[in-house]
Amino acid sequence: MKISKEDIHKIEDYLWEIPKTFRPNMRVPARVLASESLLDAIMEDRSLVQLVNVASLPGIQGASLVMPDVHEGYGFPIGGVAATLYPDGAISPGGIGYDINCGVRLLTSNQKIEEIRNNLDALSKELYIQIPSGMGKGGHIKLSVQEMEEVLLKGAEWAVEKGYGVKEDLAFMESKGRLENADATLVSDMAKKRGADQLGTIGSGNHFVEVDYVEEIYDETTAKAYGLFKGQVVVLIHTGSRGLGHQVATDYIRQIIKAMPNYGIEVPDRELACVPFNSEEGQNYFKAMCAAANYAWCNREVISWEARTAWRNIFGSTVEPLKLMYDVAHNIAKVETHVIDGVQTDVIVHRKGATRAFGPGFEELPDSYKAAGQPVIIPGSMGTCSYVLAGTARSKELTFGSCCHGAGRRLSRTAAKKQVNAPVLKEKLKERGIFVEAGSFKGIAEEAPIAYKDVNMVVETVSDSGIAKKVAKLRPVAVIKG
Amino acid sequence: MKIEYLSHTADIRMKIEASHLEELFRAGVIGMSNILKDGFCNQNVQFDHKWILEITALDSTCLLIDFLSEVLSASYAEKAVFCEVNFLDFSPHHTIAEIRGKQIQFFDEEIKAVTYHEADVHKNKRDQWVTLVIFDI
Repeated sequence: MKISKEDIHKIEDYLWEIPKTFRPNMRVPARVLASESLLDAIMEDRSLVQLVNVASLPGIQGASLVMPDVHEGYGFPIGGVAATLYPDGAISPGGIGYDINCGVRLLTSNQKIEEIRNNLDALSKELYIQIPSGMGKGGHIKLSVQEMEEVLLKGAEWAVEKGYGVKEDLAFMESKGRLENADATLVSDMAKKRGADQLGTIGSGNHFVEVDYVEEIYDETTAKAYGLFKGQVVVLIHTGSRGLGHQVATDYIRQIIKAMPNYGIEVPDRELACVPFNSEEGQNYFKAMCAAANYAWCNREVISWEARTAWRNIFGSTVEPLKLMYDVAHNIAKVETHVIDGVQTDVIVHRKGATRAFGPGFEELPDSYKAAGQPVIIPGSMGTCSYVLAGTARSKELTFGSCCHGAGRRLSRTAAKKQVNAPVLKEKLKERGIFVEAGSFKGIAEEAPIAYKDVNMVVETVSDSGIAKKVAKLRPVAVIKG
Repeated sequence: MKIEYLSHTADIRMKIEASHLEELFRAGVIGMSNILKDGFCNQNVQFDHKWILEITALDSTCLLIDFLSEVLSASYAEKAVFCEVNFLDFSPHHTIAEIRGKQIQFFDEEIKAVTYHEADVHKNKRDQWVTLVIFDI
């Protein structure tokens, strides 16, 4: 199936639509949030074919959507949002992805970049020592069977109870770092085994820990509410549920493919395998997914503890410790209420490479953020810049309260490795004041800035379209990768 | 057997080809393990690990993907790379196999999952079994 520009209609600035008449099995239109130049870039891979496939999911409401950082995935595109009718619309594990609750969090300090610039090399090395990273690497914590059950049920709270976290952090996480529907008995022994020694580890690929400073403030009032100020040093953490989440998704996609014929469901791609949310298989997956999401929040809390240890080892205990600004998921499914055709409707929102971006007044937010809206953290590519945005009411109207999640990949890993000389890139970044600590040069080459879209263009698009507003721009000074 | 790695925006797209269905499965294991540990199965490996797995699936495509997923899980659980497959039972819907490999210190690449996307086990015009496999990286 080919999609040409003539098949795509402009609805309004930054919003494009492939009508549901484009292919017979589409139940809703497919919509793209992008500037025209980003849309042209998006059309270079098969993202839009995958978006059209998503529009065929049983019970899908409104439209299948992609954010401006979308790129081709497997089944769902990365950067996709799909809302299905609660309680009997589809739940599709592929619409969450294998890295369940992959997400980002931002820790803030009281230090200014000028105060610590001479310590950056030492800080990046200490972070690399304290935070285990790399392919299949284990961490400092080895969970017993009982401890694993507790992590899966309690999420970030477990880390706090065991002294690996800070109680005040919990209010500053999406869903307060714990999904209530988790059922640890629905997570396989293999998944638990894979996750037993990976708590507090970032893994490899595009996961990282990064030290940045606030280069620019766009909205003083919101920045102040979030505790951000110009020149401030912050720490950005990007990782998910590691091998445990990968195994949960693998286990349930397999089960759901086998179960689909029982519900008369056919999908254009097996990675879109789905069952009714309220079916036994759907509920089992959802509860296991919630458990894996809890593991991910606990993981990022433990990594924060490791980052805080590194911070203290370099700057001493007289310097104020790192404080959590916010933690958001970008691979998750949630039951939420949205207005569809003027009616309040409960839906199962799948976000795969997309961030929740709820506006001011959202009751889950801590009091200090209620007027500003939910923080949205957008990591850029290594060596470029990242952003803090604030969710808006407009996101609920256009994108089921969702926003982009990053810059979006442009080049394949192979192409990046062919084009990038990693040792040279590392030196060039160092000349620009960015220290990189990585397990391999391959990892640096694959994640080079050239492999990604321009995060500035992506953020301008979401900002101009009104689904989030710019609060602050972050500039990296140290990157720790697997 | 033939193993090729093709371009994909974010992940790894592998094309495998073999004259027999069992050989296609072996190609899948070698192709995947050579990603986990660069070129590992092309070396003369002294195996020190074995694992028995049994899979039942709707068709040969699902059987292959589920089989590779099991091998991947075993790789992470045992911190080993598996290169050799001995089928104790094999049909397009069911297999019991013994896989053999070697424990390693670290992986070169972390494969999150073996996906069903674009997988389609079939015979081509040259009467060879062939499929694509996309790995989530």
